Amino acid sequence: MRVRLGWQVWAVVLLMNSPSSALAATLAPQSFTQRRAVKLAIDDFTLTDQSGNTFQFNQLSGKVVLVGFAYTTCPDVCPLLTAALRQVQSNLTAAERKGVQLLTVTTDPEIDAPKVLAGYAKRYGAELDNWRFLTGDEKKLRAVWKNFGVGVKRKGRGLVDHTPLTAIVDRRGFLRVAYIGPTPGVRLVLDDLRWLLAER
Amino acid sequence: MDALYAQRCFNCHGANGHGDGPLAVSLAVLPPDFRDTVQRKSNPQIKRLISDGNGVMPAFAPALSQSELNDMLQMVRFLSREGRDISWWENFDTLVAAHCSIPWEAVLGYDEPAEEKKP
Repeated sequence: MRVRLGWQVWAVVLLMNSPSSALAATLAPQSFTQRRAVKLAIDDFTLTDQSGNTFQFNQLSGKVVLVGFAYTTCPDVCPLLTAALRQVQSNLTAAERKGVQLLTVTTDPEIDAPKVLAGYAKRYGAELDNWRFLTGDEKKLRAVWKNFGVGVKRKGRGLVDHTPLTAIVDRRGFLRVAYIGPTPGVRLVLDDLRWLLAER
Repeated sequence: MDALYAQRCFNCHGANGHGDGPLAVSLAVLPPDFRDTVQRKSNPQIKRLISDGNGVMPAFAPALSQSELNDMLQMVRFLSREGRDISWWENFDTLVAAHCSIPWEAVLGYDEPAEEKKP
């Protein structure tokens, strides 16, 4: 049985759905990143990674998965979000890296072809042994966005409003922690990853 | 405010290009002040930075046309001059828009000849 996100989460999601709003421009980003513990089943999906290879979510079963939603030409919160994921990756021990997979799922498939995602990964110094950048056709991506509760609205070419979600999926495929905001605290994310890694 | 700059640059580089936009404090490395850096770079160098990105700065080439990239380059050059800010650009934009909206052919009785294409 799925446990739905509470209304408080959706209220924050709605609030955060316009990260380039006046609110976003006037508040320090850290001040409105929210952490929510949830339990939501994530369905299997198939997308394409930055190398053009097929990616299947179910293949990660048994791993803890840190998922960020971003697009490469985002001039807003995505750079902060991806930089935070990079910091998380570099703070994982060698043993932890084997149990943790990072994913960045694009919210702009029109622009973010695999080659564009590869360039993005390189600029952030992402180590691709446990981090994949995913794109695909819009229909497939819409299903993924919906499953994770990410709202996506195109404003123009290369400009997209989307829920700034970073999420952790546990070993059994349940979304367990949702950070809604541009800068999930690196220490907090590491603590949550270690908590879920310790779960059997 | 120039729409392209407002949408793509303002959050980090700020209204005057001083690197003091609302998101700047959240970045690991502060964005540069255009007055310090842009003056020392050539137009192709700046355009390459805008096109290909640098660190956390997005690569805008996949999303923008060449003319939009050129507009951004001009904007960055404009703000890099001491004492310039976005309000100067707005005034400049208004003047250019006013100039362009005048029916010069009717006023002067002739139109400017088309630019000759180089062989």
